[in-house]
Amino acid sequence: MRLLLVEDERDIQTFLEQALTEAGYGVDVALDGRTAEELAATNPYDILIVDLGLPDQDGIDLITRLHQIGVKAPVLILSARRSLDDRVRGLEQGGDDYLTKPFALAELLARLRNLLKRNAPQGSETTRLRVQDLELDLLRREATRAGRVLQLTPQEFVLLEYLCRNAGRVVTRSMILEKVWGMRIQPDTNVVDVHIYRLRGKVDGNGQQPLIRTLRGVGYVLKDR
Amino acid sequence: MMRSAAWRISFWAALAFTFGTILIFVVLDRFVANDIQRRSDAWLSGEVEVLGDVAEHTPNDALYNRVVSEVAELASREVPNREIAAQPADETAENDSVFFLQVGSDGALKLWVGQGDGPTHLKAIVGSRFSFDRPASIRVEGFSTPFRVAAMRLGDGSRVYLGLSERDERRVLSNLRVRISLLWLSLVLLGFAIVFYTARRTLKHVRDITEAASRIGQSDLKTRVPFARTNDEIAQLAHTLNHMLDRIEATVEQLHTITGSLAHDLRSPLTAIRGKLETSLEGTRDAKQLEAIASSIEELDRLTDFLNTSLDVAEARANALRLKPVEIDLDELLRSMMTLYEPSMSEKGLAISLHSSGPLYIVADEGLIHRMIANLFDNELKHLTPGCTVAVQLSQQDDATEVRIEDDGAGFDQETLAHLFVRRVRGRDSHGHGLGLAFVDAVARAHHGSVQASNRAGGGIRIEVVLPRQAPRDVVVG
Repeated sequence: MRLLLVEDERDIQTFLEQALTEAGYGVDVALDGRTAEELAATNPYDILIVDLGLPDQDGIDLITRLHQIGVKAPVLILSARRSLDDRVRGLEQGGDDYLTKPFALAELLARLRNLLKRNAPQGSETTRLRVQDLELDLLRREATRAGRVLQLTPQEFVLLEYLCRNAGRVVTRSMILEKVWGMRIQPDTNVVDVHIYRLRGKVDGNGQQPLIRTLRGVGYVLKDR
Repeated sequence: MMRSAAWRISFWAALAFTFGTILIFVVLDRFVANDIQRRSDAWLSGEVEVLGDVAEHTPNDALYNRVVSEVAELASREVPNREIAAQPADETAENDSVFFLQVGSDGALKLWVGQGDGPTHLKAIVGSRFSFDRPASIRVEGFSTPFRVAAMRLGDGSRVYLGLSERDERRVLSNLRVRISLLWLSLVLLGFAIVFYTARRTLKHVRDITEAASRIGQSDLKTRVPFARTNDEIAQLAHTLNHMLDRIEATVEQLHTITGSLAHDLRSPLTAIRGKLETSLEGTRDAKQLEAIASSIEELDRLTDFLNTSLDVAEARANALRLKPVEIDLDELLRSMMTLYEPSMSEKGLAISLHSSGPLYIVADEGLIHRMIANLFDNELKHLTPGCTVAVQLSQQDDATEVRIEDDGAGFDQETLAHLFVRRVRGRDSHGHGLGLAFVDAVARAHHGSVQASNRAGGGIRIEVVLPRQAPRDVVVG
């Protein structure tokens, strides 16, 4: 997967390049709009990350220009501007997703995956998810671990399903709140942790090898091996 | 209508006009009445002299009475102020307005010409202490209007009296008064209409300005109030308002620039720091270092959250918070927030319940309402001690929706209660950043709603958030 990162802040650019390379992307970096245009014109990128505040031009203008020269790859916008207007404007002007600074790496990676999946041909909808000895029947809304049925509330099932779909990858609290509860909020209490704690009690409760891991300061991961 | 300024102005103007014209007409009436009186008196004095002359020079024989009566009769046909239309056709009735009386030197009635009874008239004249210098009004029994009487002393000691009924004089005067009153009434009505029309026209400009200003107050700071091309007081008001709006717009614009650059200047380093911490977290195995890095990230996230909420509160205070109103079911929203918070509450030994009578739709910004309710629940979670209960009540009153949250905890202390919606004030045991209720207040205001917080009589707090069912449409400023 080839990725073009357009970001003028050296610090941000450095750690993003490192993290994205570790995540398996082939990363090219442009520090300004002109370089980005040249790179995009000559290389077939799968995805682009564009910061809105570039030194030589507005990020949105750059995206428009890239579309004009035939770049079809999805674009993830990074911006320090948070208000709804900017968000809507960014998405209307050709951005495919929008992430406000500061952000969690896990969230950036998840959004990139979503954008790439959106562009890939859709496979048939799965009805069963399987992670190690944990199995989810999405039609009957039933979860079993090593053959034993887990007594989950509907909410817990949705949470576990989300973790399974992202097995082996980190999900943050705000990602869980957005995908499972449909809310973009940042509670300053441990509401999400309590849900995970309860779910863990049911999934990992029988002295089995723990599947749900907490990564402090980052989020949670369902181990796939 | 009755309370409009146009009505009031016209009313007072008409009142002043009415009294002014009444005064003028009273003076005019007096003047005309005096003039009529003077003309009658002049005629009377002239005629009585003629009659006296005739009476004196007519030989006192059998024909005397006849001749003098004849002359008196003739004179009575030239009565002044008598209108043609009012004149009866027959001769007999013609004379009822005039009488002629001659009294001998012995005081006995000598000659009587006129309607009615001679002695009665003589009695009235004698009883009225009549003077010969000038005519006077005398009331005679049996006649509704008094007579104007002039007299003359003859050489032989007898006296002649000529009386003229004031009836005609009065009729002329009353006719005049009716006309004047009609004229006066139409003048007053016309005056009222003109003043009312002018006042309304002028005040319509004021109303236009008010309407435009209230539109601006609610939504669009770019609009300006309309002003007429004339340079009168109203136009000056409009100019002043527009000038004020220019300054407000510039200030809001400035605030936007400041918050925008503040956000940018803080966000970039925050992103870099967070990114570096996250990448270094990956490569660390040492538990102590892991802990330090993880808690740094968490602190950083709290700082970011504070920054975001702080900017939102500032924007909402400046009426610049952008809303994206959609129709939401508050009942469903509260239920789903409760599924999120219930485990944390019960983990802490708290009970939470919702009282609602089914779906309740309002138009509001869903994201902001989510964050507002989360703030309220976070506050309860942080401040309550185990064993307490939180009751959430959703109700509807007219065009407003009320979300009421009550608990049976310790309540706010007095100091906190006084500054509840001010930023950075915390409850005594708060670990939060103290933006909770300021943010709740800001969101409610942005939706043209309100928040009230108080201590319940039985202990615990009560917070009432009132939201209108329809949020202001697309608040876009600056």
